[in-house]
Amino acid sequence: MSEKETSPAILQFAPLNSSVDEGFWHSFSSLKLDKLGIDDSPISITGFYGPCSHPQVSNHLTLLSESLPLDEQSSIASTSHGNRNKCPVPGILYNTNTLESFHKLDKQSLLKAEANKIWDDIQSGKALEDPAVLSRFLVISFADLKKWSFRYWFAFPALVLDPPASLVDLKPASAYFSSEEAESVSAACNEWRHSDLTTDVPFFLVSVSSDSKTSIRHLKDWEACQGDHHKLLFGFYDPCHLPNNPGWPLRNYLALIRSRWNLETVWFFCYRESRGFADLNLSLVGQASVTLASGESAPTVPNSVGWELNKGKRVPRSISLANSMDPTRLAVSAVDLNLKLMRWRALPSLDLNVLSSVKCLLLGAGTLGCQVARTLMGWGIRNITFVDYGKVAMSNPVRQSLYTFEDCVGRGEFKAVAAVKSLKQIFPAMESSGVVMAIPMPGHPISSQEEDSILADCKRLSDLIESHDAVFLLTDTRESRWLPSLLCANANKIAINAALGFDSYMVMRHGAGPTSLSDDMQNLDMNKTNKQRLGCYFCNDVVAPQDSMTDRTLDQQCTVTRPGLAPIAGALAVELLVGVLQHPLGINAKGDNSSLSNGGNNDDSPLGILPHQIRGSVSQFSQITLLGQASNSCTACSETVISEYRERGNSFILEAINHPTYLEDLTGLTELKKAANSFNLDWEDDDTDDEDVAVDM
Amino acid sequence: MNSGREVSDGRLTVEGFSVAARAFADKWKIHNQSFPPWSWVPLINRTLHLSNQQEEGYLSLEEILILSSLEESPEDESLNVATDCLEKEESVDHTILNQENEAHYYDFHIVYSSSYKVPVLYFRGYCSGGQPLSLDVIKKDLPSCSVSLLHESKWTFITQEEHPYLNRPWFKLHPCGTEDWIKLLSQSSISTGCQMPVDLYLVSWFSVVGQVVGLRIPLEMLN
Repeated sequence: MSEKETSPAILQFAPLNSSVDEGFWHSFSSLKLDKLGIDDSPISITGFYGPCSHPQVSNHLTLLSESLPLDEQSSIASTSHGNRNKCPVPGILYNTNTLESFHKLDKQSLLKAEANKIWDDIQSGKALEDPAVLSRFLVISFADLKKWSFRYWFAFPALVLDPPASLVDLKPASAYFSSEEAESVSAACNEWRHSDLTTDVPFFLVSVSSDSKTSIRHLKDWEACQGDHHKLLFGFYDPCHLPNNPGWPLRNYLALIRSRWNLETVWFFCYRESRGFADLNLSLVGQASVTLASGESAPTVPNSVGWELNKGKRVPRSISLANSMDPTRLAVSAVDLNLKLMRWRALPSLDLNVLSSVKCLLLGAGTLGCQVARTLMGWGIRNITFVDYGKVAMSNPVRQSLYTFEDCVGRGEFKAVAAVKSLKQIFPAMESSGVVMAIPMPGHPISSQEEDSILADCKRLSDLIESHDAVFLLTDTRESRWLPSLLCANANKIAINAALGFDSYMVMRHGAGPTSLSDDMQNLDMNKTNKQRLGCYFCNDVVAPQDSMTDRTLDQQCTVTRPGLAPIAGALAVELLVGVLQHPLGINAKGDNSSLSNGGNNDDSPLGILPHQIRGSVSQFSQITLLGQASNSCTACSETVISEYRERGNSFILEAINHPTYLEDLTGLTELKKAANSFNLDWEDDDTDDEDVAVDM
Repeated sequence: MNSGREVSDGRLTVEGFSVAARAFADKWKIHNQSFPPWSWVPLINRTLHLSNQQEEGYLSLEEILILSSLEESPEDESLNVATDCLEKEESVDHTILNQENEAHYYDFHIVYSSSYKVPVLYFRGYCSGGQPLSLDVIKKDLPSCSVSLLHESKWTFITQEEHPYLNRPWFKLHPCGTEDWIKLLSQSSISTGCQMPVDLYLVSWFSVVGQVVGLRIPLEMLN
């Protein structure tokens, strides 16, 4: 785009562009963290560039991980990709420790200092020995190693000719050379490029004799080339691809030529390639006219320019590598990958999104709570809240998998707090919180001074349940499960209940709340009686038959249960939850039994059947599934109780807490029991219902 | 090297991989000149058993250029424009600022996986300034048939994992299906059961895998 206003036009150069490979930042970060610390003295680095290799895209000056001074490097053989495209060029890096100091760097003087070095190399003759120093460059940077973002700015110092050089002529090399000469020039260039000794020398002399023989010589052989030639050109690797402009390296090249050899007319050769071979159509030959310095004895350093523009603006560039360097992000993507692989290989219809977004509330952070939390994490569930009022005791860490010895020394850490800490240590991206609180229990009368705080706890529990999607009841008493069961039924939240006996366990999912029926939009099927709802933990008291396995009491203090039980029950509880979450009907899913091989419910979930209750024993190494419907007389989830709660709120709660028989009276359980006790029931005859079948697993 | 002569179970040994890699690179150089050649990157200090004649390493094809249409420039966080007063640039001396089409560069590595005993294709993309490209952007560069192949085929699955030697996340085509479909390939092409000569392993493998990332190989290579 040489504007030919009057003759001749000013020579215009295409700026050099930088390219920083990710590996450079990785290596630099390690260097800073391991060795340099806050030392911000300048670092000598090496840039790499090569001739243009594509007609539409210019080449860049590149920084790679090898650009940094080598210590003990990685186990990779470095730069084995051939040095032909990686001519090394010396550079210097100024990295600051803060953003402010980055902006405060005196760019002018830094640029001048580097330009001075180039000038000195020209004067001293070093530029003839090692011409790559003509392309010396400078980088300033600020590496934010907390956020893994890097701000940087390149400068390619160019000595400014005053007055500027003018362009007499510029054309493709193939138009300048005769076809014979062109062939010979190509061959000579390819040889130069092919030899390891010369391939990374980016400035050279092209001497073409009158009989079209070409030889390529080092710059320092200039004297020897005199008189020898028909055409003598100053060649250089030109990274630029543009047909009408030479690349940046020519600038300092001209300064060198003018200074050393006092030439007024300079024929230059912009060497460019394609497919690894000299391309004389892409390459350019031009003639520049240079004004010699008039009678100056001591040559002075010219001015310099060269700060790289960023999309036309005079601002630094920046890059964020958090995705590939932040260890937490790397952990997250590794965990996500695992789940995706499971889905891809085994369960294509698995909905992973519902798992990563579900919020789980764990009431109890003991043996069961720890196991449940661990298994939830395995499924990719990230949002877990613990409620527990206890502290980690010395006997806990061996059974409660989130705690260690450190948690119990001294006064002992609160379990809810220690559990949260532990989760974060396992997987930093967990969103977890702990609440130190006791769950109010019915049948445990309280004094009037305690009323307020108890009611506050009730409210807090109610809020927690509202703000989560699934609730695990993992406490170690029966009574402490009552209020959560009621609140879950009221709010229609998924509730998973796990209880341990000495050598037996029970895991179940509560059915939907009774109000879910009336909330439905006149769904005819669901408008039937409560029979459609699955029962809760307390429904069992009346409905489920007493089979021999459940004779033993549940809700033992965890210290007296067989240790293998909690992991089993905790794991089953989580698998049950996942089954509910993956089921299209969610909390309203019907209960399956493992004995029934009906095709009905099996197709609904890719995971298999979705039972209502699972009971198992390690004394028998057996496990069965059970089904129980909701009971009209349930003290926790029946419509009677729920509506009473909705109507009377706190006073209802207080009454339940203070009067041991209030709930049973309310639901008519008292009456029922009286009636039951008044005659002998023949259990065997009555219960030929096939719904409860014992199966050995 | 008799054990490595033929492959009958879809898997490769380490030595077999080295052999297959050289054969592949040679054939590529001859038949596929529209692309630069693959180079072998040896790994040093890695193996404990130095008795191997064949060194371990991987194949590398780098800086494959794809010019994509300049739609959105994936610019990083907006910088507070530090308007320093630099010395006045002589605007005369500057030419057109290279507002090129957005150039995307791709690097491909073929690495041996000792746990799956098959080759794995690793790749990454980056802009001319060095910024890495996300998978969404990379998918836009792929030919549409590749994208649909990715969606439909159950053999191809792109994941992002640490490059085994470079300690940085690269994308890769997950190898868990490779063994199976290599067996299918060898059944259909060679009449003598499921045998496949080691020399041809990578060529056959790449004829499938390459399509996913838009690198086709000419049919002559398969002979």
